[in-house]
Amino acid sequence: MVDLVWFQLLSAALFVIGLYGVLARRSAVLILMSIELMLNAVNINLIAAAAHMEGFGSFSRFDGQLIAIFIITVAAAEVGLALAIVLRMYRNRSTVNVDEIDLMKW
Amino acid sequence: MSNFDSVALLLLILVPLAGAGLMMLMPGDRPRDSWYFALFIGAISLALSVLIFARYDYQAGGFQFIRTYDWLPGPMDISLALGIDGIAAPLLLLNGIVLMGGVVISQNITYRTREFFVLLLALAAGVYGVFAVRDLFFLFFFYELAVLPMYLLIGVWGSSTDFGTFLRTKEYGAMKLILFLVAGSILIWVGILAVYAEASGQGGGTFSLEGLARMAENGRFDSTFQTLVFPLFMVGFGSLAGLWPFHTWSPDGHVAAPTAVSMLHAGVLMKLGAYGIIRVGIFLLPEGAENWMPVLIALGTVNVLYGAVSAMSQQDLKYIIGYSSVSHMGYVLMGIATLDRIGMGGAVLQMFSHGIMTALMFALVGAIYDRTHIRDINVLNGLFGRMGVTSFFFVIAGLCSLGLPGMSGFIAEFMVFTGAFRTYLPLAVLAVIGAAITAVYILRLLARTFYGTPPLSLTSTDGETKAGWAEGLTDAGVLEKSVAGAFVLVIIFVGIWPEPLMRVINVSVTTIPGV
Amino acid sequence: MQWAWLIPVFSFAVAPVIVLAGGRLTALSRVPGGAVLSIAAIGAGFAFFWIALLGWMDASAGTESCYVAAGTEALTCNYERTWFNAGLPGLDGSVALTWGFFVDPLTIAMLGLVTFVALMVQIYSLGYMHGDPRINWYFAVHALFAASMLTIILADSFLLLYVAWELVGVCSYLLIGFWHERPAAREAAKKAFIVTRIGDVGLLVGILLLWREVGTFSMTDAFAAVQAGTMGEGVTIAAALLLFLGAMGKSAQIPFHVWLPDAMEGPTPVSALIHAATMVVAGVFLVARAFPLFEAYNATPLLVVAIVGLVTALVTSTIALVATDIKRILAYSTVSHLGLMMLSLGAFGYTAAIFHLLAHGFAKALLFLGAGSVIHSTEEQEISRLGGLRKVMPLTTLVFAIGAMSLGGIPILAGFWSKDEILQAVSQGRNPAFIVFALITALLSALYMGRALFATFFGKLPQELEHTHESPPVMTVPLALLAILAVGFGFISFNWPGAFGGFGYFVFFHEGHGFEFTWWIGILSGVMAVGAFVFTWMVYERGSISLESARRRFAPLLRVVENKYYFDEIYQWTIDRVVLVFAGFVAFFDRAIVNDIGINGPADTVRRLGVALRLHVTGHLYSYALAMTLGVVALGIFWWLITA
Repeated sequence: MVDLVWFQLLSAALFVIGLYGVLARRSAVLILMSIELMLNAVNINLIAAAAHMEGFGSFSRFDGQLIAIFIITVAAAEVGLALAIVLRMYRNRSTVNVDEIDLMKW
Repeated sequence: MSNFDSVALLLLILVPLAGAGLMMLMPGDRPRDSWYFALFIGAISLALSVLIFARYDYQAGGFQFIRTYDWLPGPMDISLALGIDGIAAPLLLLNGIVLMGGVVISQNITYRTREFFVLLLALAAGVYGVFAVRDLFFLFFFYELAVLPMYLLIGVWGSSTDFGTFLRTKEYGAMKLILFLVAGSILIWVGILAVYAEASGQGGGTFSLEGLARMAENGRFDSTFQTLVFPLFMVGFGSLAGLWPFHTWSPDGHVAAPTAVSMLHAGVLMKLGAYGIIRVGIFLLPEGAENWMPVLIALGTVNVLYGAVSAMSQQDLKYIIGYSSVSHMGYVLMGIATLDRIGMGGAVLQMFSHGIMTALMFALVGAIYDRTHIRDINVLNGLFGRMGVTSFFFVIAGLCSLGLPGMSGFIAEFMVFTGAFRTYLPLAVLAVIGAAITAVYILRLLARTFYGTPPLSLTSTDGETKAGWAEGLTDAGVLEKSVAGAFVLVIIFVGIWPEPLMRVINVSVTTIPGV
Repeated sequence: MQWAWLIPVFSFAVAPVIVLAGGRLTALSRVPGGAVLSIAAIGAGFAFFWIALLGWMDASAGTESCYVAAGTEALTCNYERTWFNAGLPGLDGSVALTWGFFVDPLTIAMLGLVTFVALMVQIYSLGYMHGDPRINWYFAVHALFAASMLTIILADSFLLLYVAWELVGVCSYLLIGFWHERPAAREAAKKAFIVTRIGDVGLLVGILLLWREVGTFSMTDAFAAVQAGTMGEGVTIAAALLLFLGAMGKSAQIPFHVWLPDAMEGPTPVSALIHAATMVVAGVFLVARAFPLFEAYNATPLLVVAIVGLVTALVTSTIALVATDIKRILAYSTVSHLGLMMLSLGAFGYTAAIFHLLAHGFAKALLFLGAGSVIHSTEEQEISRLGGLRKVMPLTTLVFAIGAMSLGGIPILAGFWSKDEILQAVSQGRNPAFIVFALITALLSALYMGRALFATFFGKLPQELEHTHESPPVMTVPLALLAILAVGFGFISFNWPGAFGGFGYFVFFHEGHGFEFTWWIGILSGVMAVGAFVFTWMVYERGSISLESARRRFAPLLRVVENKYYFDEIYQWTIDRVVLVFAGFVAFFDRAIVNDIGINGPADTVRRLGVALRLHVTGHLYSYALAMTLGVVALGIFWWLITA
């Protein structure tokens, strides 16, 4: 079995890439994709931990998987909603550049 | 006790409240009908108030018309406990009279009439509630109900005035009023909770005013606690009563408010504050009250003099009356602070008298302003020739204000002086001088506004020059005249024969602890 | 006699009726309805005065609420009613505010004066105010005025006295400002009310001080407390002086005298009423009524009364000497004579003061009504533009001459006897300086009366006044009746045989005393009066003496006197530069400090903070995300730190 630390490294790498994407990208679509990356990084972390930590305290083998599936479901809904918003935004303002969308300030 | 007596107070609160509720269901585009309905509700309220006042047994005294509805029993012990004593009874009557007058005078409200009357009636219900409950929680509840509609009434139906050097918008007036009163409410609420907590600590947690008063009487609240908590009530309720230096919301509020709202504001609402000081402050914290009374009477004297001197240099009719209210409420505060039977009786009578008198003045100013669109006493002149009856009534109100014998104001002020002479002689002398200053600004107002000859042309506040302005001026309408006439009758009646009011007031003033 | 309280009630009752229904009555009956009602009411009052007088003469101590009062030793009848209770009856400290009335010699004497003069003035007003559109209002306030004054006279409690006192003030305000369209009338009315109101502060404080000591407002109780010595010296003196402050305001004593000359802006009959009977004598009456207070503890307050009276009498008689408006001369002469009455009271001349009050009242009413007759016919009141009216208005001339001579102190007329009694009292009661100045005042009073008489009615008739004619009988008949009293009233002071025995046995303090006549004073004052009249006659009728050189020599002094010693200017300056500036400052303080800094200040601070804080909401997604990230990192570091 592969050591847990490799999964964690992969997960951390994915998360940081995603974070960088959220902070640095201008396109709303790419930001959404970066968020997906971060979510999946979390998922990897959870599943790996679940596999390695069986019998640790009150945790069971399925707890990690359960949460991961839950996250996937929510992420799907979230992306669906967010893309709809982005679409409306594009219709209205002909851009998906978040720098230009700053109506909700002071 | 008859069936009527047991539900009378509940009815009194519910009638305007239900009226407000029902009015919301009425179509909004028929202002006349809204007014008729409000008149109807006002008339019933007035009739109920008169009936209750008349049925109050001044020989028995104490709380009457008692009825208790459990609301939150248990450790909180909150109940809708109704009942009035001789202090509340005249004030209920006052509210009935002023409300009716205010509704009648509001016939010319055309903008969102329905909503105006909804709020007015809700306010009146709140005032009735404060006077009629014997429970601290509900007292606060109704207090807020009475105060909050004021914000909308001024903010929506008020008027903004440009005084040249400064501008007073209705939004400003409304905002200032509500901030002051809500800040006062916070102090009151903290005080109420403190009293409740103290009572709980003593093993008798309750919101019942009677229960708490009994605990106070038995010395269950220690003196330090009372001294610490009393100023919360004094300042909290005091700011509604126009206590200096928390008075500035009042004149500005008047300037912005529409006529009927000014009437209720100065006529009734400010009395809630004074009533609160007596009912909550003095009854629950007698020792604290005693310790703080020198401060209150000093502030009351400042009120009297400061209000009078300020009024002396005002140019706007409403500002003059607004500051005169501050001055007159000073007599109420002084009377309360004497903790003397006569002074306290005078204070309660002054609440009634000033309520009627100032409502009358605002009604008449409203009538004048509706016709001239001017409130500047330097511009107005010689109204006697054009608006004879209005002017005549205004002169009577003014004479009442300066304490002319034969009018209600004299009796009340005289009793306050008498009480104060027994307790705080130097301040009482200052207050007498204040009464002389009142004469100065009232006579100045009368001389400028009503005497002389009307100018041929003038520039109104909104910058329009009108030639032949005075020719088209008509006297107040029948409705305004009859309201003013009724108020004048009350003033003179009380001034000549105060016994019917005094015997009711006297019987309860003696129950105030420390008196 | 127990019905004496009806005397004011008649007039009180008709006042509202006239206001409400006067117009309709006039329309019905062609005569001014209000006037008829008002005259009927005061006429009934006059009739009841006789009933009260006769009743009092029949009464004896111990019967029907009558007793010999402790202070005055006079037979007093006292009837009491409760007005309302301030405090529960029967409990300790409760105060029943009562209204009740005295019937004693002082009251009766004053009742006679007030009802009679008010009746005459009202009848006269029928003619004078004929055709005025507000005539009903005029008579309504007139009725109220008389009623209030009568209440002052009857009151047996300080509270009731104060009530009526204030009502008198407001009635004078309404009547002086009757022609409110005139700015002068408007200002005069305001001035009268405010100046007297300032005095009233003293009165009210004094009354409350007495109440604090005695526990009731009853005069009898207060006097009894003074007699019994239960009231301390300081309090008694303070109360007396405070009451005197009120009296000074109403009786126009220096420095409160400024309102009275201006008060002539009202219709002339009103001036007659104010000056003769209803208002200004109230102050003198108050001092007389409260004499037990003033007299207690070595009578210290009376010295103040005497000095104020003397200064007033002297100063204002000089002003009267140079005034050019006939009503103004009369007004200053009133102030001067009120000063004499005060001086007399201050010199323990109780009887003399009241006697002069009555004699002066009849003469002054006569003079004002006579002047009113002149003004009514000529519409002129500057004496320099009048003259020679005796040719066109013989009857008015006759009665005016009687009034002037009576007031000037020509022997055997009423004023001579009363002034003589005052001088005598002063010579006995105070040190010689007082009598010297009192005699000077008497001389001046004869001089200005002579001047008013001869300058107006004698000399050359100006051309434009040639078509003037006598006033209608409704005005001249009251004048004639008053003239009879101005001539003959003095005789009641003599020692008459029989039950009456003279005025000195009727109105007195402590003990009655008969008529006395000190020859040197009588002859001196008589000669001075006659001399003064002859002198003015030579100046204004014959023109054989010219005052021009004297005028030139004393020009600076004359200017000061003509400007009324600058009292008005000083007051105006005080009001403009001190009072109004202070009021403006307070109003400014309220707006700028209390409101703008105290209220708007915190509000603005909160708003500025909000403005600054809201800048962090940029609207940029990445800034929010960065903040979140940094926050998480910070939390992580924090967690690491606390676990490490």
